[in-house]
Amino acid sequence: TSSVLSKDKDKSAASKDGTPEGAAKRQEDGAETPKQQLLDIIGSMKVEVSYRKKLQQLKASENKKQVVHKLEGLDSEGSVPLGTTEDTQRLNPELVKAASAVASSLPRNKKQTESELLAQLRRHEETTDKQKKGGTINIRNVISEMAVKRQSPEQWGARISGRISLQLDEDGQGTRPGRSSTQMDSRSLKVGKRLNIFTKASTEPEHALKTVSSPTIWDLEFAKEVAAVTAQPPRNGFEEMIQWTKEGILWEFPIDNEVGMEDDAEFHEHIFLDKHLEGFPKEGPIRHFMELVICGLSKNPYLSVKQKVEHIEWFQKYFEEKKELLQEI
Amino acid sequence: MAAAALSWALRAARQVLPSSCPGQVRSYYVDWRMLRDVKRRKMAYEYADERLRINAIRKNSILPKELQEVADKEIAALPRDSCPVRIRNRCVLTSRPRGVKRRWRLSRIVFRHFADHAQMSGVQRAMW
Repeated sequence: TSSVLSKDKDKSAASKDGTPEGAAKRQEDGAETPKQQLLDIIGSMKVEVSYRKKLQQLKASENKKQVVHKLEGLDSEGSVPLGTTEDTQRLNPELVKAASAVASSLPRNKKQTESELLAQLRRHEETTDKQKKGGTINIRNVISEMAVKRQSPEQWGARISGRISLQLDEDGQGTRPGRSSTQMDSRSLKVGKRLNIFTKASTEPEHALKTVSSPTIWDLEFAKEVAAVTAQPPRNGFEEMIQWTKEGILWEFPIDNEVGMEDDAEFHEHIFLDKHLEGFPKEGPIRHFMELVICGLSKNPYLSVKQKVEHIEWFQKYFEEKKELLQEI
Repeated sequence: MAAAALSWALRAARQVLPSSCPGQVRSYYVDWRMLRDVKRRKMAYEYADERLRINAIRKNSILPKELQEVADKEIAALPRDSCPVRIRNRCVLTSRPRGVKRRWRLSRIVFRHFADHAQMSGVQRAMW
């Protein structure tokens, strides 16, 4: 990182527009690939890089400030140039040269500006050394930047009660924890920039549909073969009975009299069949006959409603065909 | 009788069994008479509803007689094999038309054979 830092310092020392240029270059590089973008985003999330940027910004602002100060007042810093000669040995000679070049470019008090720039560089080196070792300053800075969100006492109470209720709920019903988590988080889950890490797996349901809709005959045969091969002969009477039940030889106990006979219709549909008699004449022998038919059908427990209705419809059709004959009579 | 018994014993050599199914597997009917009986049964099943309805019209004292006569003619026009009266309960294994016990659908000879070999569940020689 030291080389990178030195490069950055060169840029910043050479011209006051160093940092924006560097940032622009970095941005351009990042825009090439999404991976680079991602790395940039992750990198920007790191504290060190941001601290570095801030330091550079600080330096630029301090440079400007000190230049302004120099222009206004002269006698404030006189003792600084004495101490710089010792410390310049630690710094990069390139940096020193760059600092001297900057100082020479400025209008007044070249020595003082040079000394101040070098002092800043020294400070920067110190901080980077500290960063490499431990980095306690970073945490302090970060924490100082973080603002404590004031919670109202109502929210406090709600959150505590939510937590307690979570602990009490042993069944772990899905709605409760979900709601509390969304309530508790100050930042919601759906807010924020998209990272574009995962691609949408939209092709999966199509694949699933494909496989389900075409079980070929060969697949069925293979499945049958596998089942036949893996089927072991029954070890005892229980397994034999199980096998027979599966095959249908043995009935299931307790015996259900209505196995295979699935009648979804209610009893009133079986008994009250008058509504099907609308197509018939209201008087006469035919009506009499049909009422007898309906009486018999309503007492029949073996037919389904559909079959009974079919009977009645057949009679209706039959009598429709024989209408001419009937009218002769 | 002995010939019939022998004939069914000879005809016992049937198709090769598929490995999954134990026991005998029959792919043919025993004889043509059995096949005809099978056809009659199928047809009777198909026309059962119609025959029932037309007979309901015929066996009636309410409807006019002319209608009933027409129904008579209609039912006579149906195919002959559709009437259930033509079905004969033959033995399932030998196609013997007579001496068939309804419960087991077997002729008496086959029944005796299997019972003596203890292959009929719950059947024992009577002794009292």
